Amino acid sequence: MLDVTGLSAGYGAAKVLHDVSLTVDEGKFVVLTGPNGHGKTTLLRVLSGLLPADEGDMLFCDERLNGRSTAAIVARGLVHIPQGDLLFVDLTVEQNLFMGAYLSAAWRNRRERIRRVYELFPRLEERRTQQARTLSGGERRMLGIGRGLMSNAKLLMVDEPALGLAPVLVQEVYATLERISRSEATVLLVEETLANARGIADYVYLMDTGRIVHEGTMAEFGADVLHSTYLGNRGS
Amino acid sequence: METLVQAIISGLVFGAIYAIMTMGLTLVYGCLRTLNMAQGAFGMVGGYAAWMLTTQAGAPPIAGLIAGAVAAAGIGILTHFISIKPLVGRKDIDFEMTAYISTLVVAIMFSASIILLFGARNKAIDPLVEGRLKIFGTVSVSWQQVAVAGVALICLGGLSLLLNRSRQGLSIMAVAQQFDAARLMGVPAGRVYWVTMALAGLLGGIAGVLLAPLYFVSPSAGDLPILKGLTVAIVAGLGSIRGTIYAAFVIGLIEALVATYVGSLWSLPVLFSLIVVFMIVRPYGLFGKPEEERL
Repeated sequence: MLDVTGLSAGYGAAKVLHDVSLTVDEGKFVVLTGPNGHGKTTLLRVLSGLLPADEGDMLFCDERLNGRSTAAIVARGLVHIPQGDLLFVDLTVEQNLFMGAYLSAAWRNRRERIRRVYELFPRLEERRTQQARTLSGGERRMLGIGRGLMSNAKLLMVDEPALGLAPVLVQEVYATLERISRSEATVLLVEETLANARGIADYVYLMDTGRIVHEGTMAEFGADVLHSTYLGNRGS
Repeated sequence: METLVQAIISGLVFGAIYAIMTMGLTLVYGCLRTLNMAQGAFGMVGGYAAWMLTTQAGAPPIAGLIAGAVAAAGIGILTHFISIKPLVGRKDIDFEMTAYISTLVVAIMFSASIILLFGARNKAIDPLVEGRLKIFGTVSVSWQQVAVAGVALICLGGLSLLLNRSRQGLSIMAVAQQFDAARLMGVPAGRVYWVTMALAGLLGGIAGVLLAPLYFVSPSAGDLPILKGLTVAIVAGLGSIRGTIYAAFVIGLIEALVATYVGSLWSLPVLFSLIVVFMIVRPYGLFGKPEEERL
């Protein structure tokens, strides 16, 4: 479904990603993990067209993404739910969700889609006329994910959904993501630790200093791999 | 008492015109993060379009209003492609300041073109409606004032519906509030920019046609309105839609009261003093947020 080969990118002279290759198969729950500040979010920004790729190829459903606008990439069903939610804080919850269905194919079905999001997150329906800025941290995360689900997403890229959430809410969010990955869309999840996704992930990529240093199924991902990455790079 | 009521009515009517005029500045500032100094020129061009259609060609005033709005919307789009689009996303310049200067230059070019086309002489234009409505005692409003208030309210109501309900309107607000997220929703920012400029032109053009019977149509007809618009925008807090409406009526009322009780020569000095006070005491305006809170 998503095929990345030999991807390099960065901010001007500062190269962040070096020769990254990664594959996400349809219907799988794939996790991209690794210490913070090592390029995971940058990779998502390149995939969604917010940042240009310097080298390499990105294929999504057999179409090349290089050089395409974010609007064109979203229209193909590759949807990025950004870290920190990036809500439209002065719009209401409902308006935020409708914005998630901005593209015309999704806009036509927005009422039907919003019903499904409300079924998934009943709390959002209770808050639907409130401004997004009045929501609690957990509600904001639900809105961020719900907004992503309003699109015609085939592959959802979710960046650090557990960040800043209370443990009980983290469980709820991951249970929802698991349900989504089974019934709605393939999921590529980015997170710093594997703690939350341990029981869900089908396949894991470990990124360190902008490179994929290890990959495999959850079972192949022993504690030794993680330890060497984290302990080797931390403390500096 | 009757003088006061008369002044308040006049202030509210001017406030309504300032509100739609300044809303153009507000939308563009929210979306593009620059002051569009051509906003006054949009009104000036709108006035000329209305003058050509009504005084020259004999069409009814309402046709003049529509023509003014449409022409100014076109000028808004033109301004975008001449003076804003070439600057968007360039890393070697300070966009906000450069676009501010380039829109000011375009406004001067529009005025100069109008002088070349129609000469520098003022043109008179008929009001939308004639006559006066007597309320009580010596207090009366002209039907023109009623029409102006009505048109302004329709514009503000329509704008609110557009921004809050429609796909295009929501995308303008989304780009203004969270640029990256708007792009991740698939919003093509380039299109939102020129649609916003067209909307700013439309609003400016309507304000220009409403003001034209009071101030004549002239190449410099946009100068005073943009000064008033900037005053309203600064008092409101740049980019605040709700603040713009309140501030427009406050400014309209202050202006009318000063003109009535102190003398009309004093209204501009008072407004400019108000800007200075706001710049010192509350630089982010009544309804704006301090920069650090915006993040």
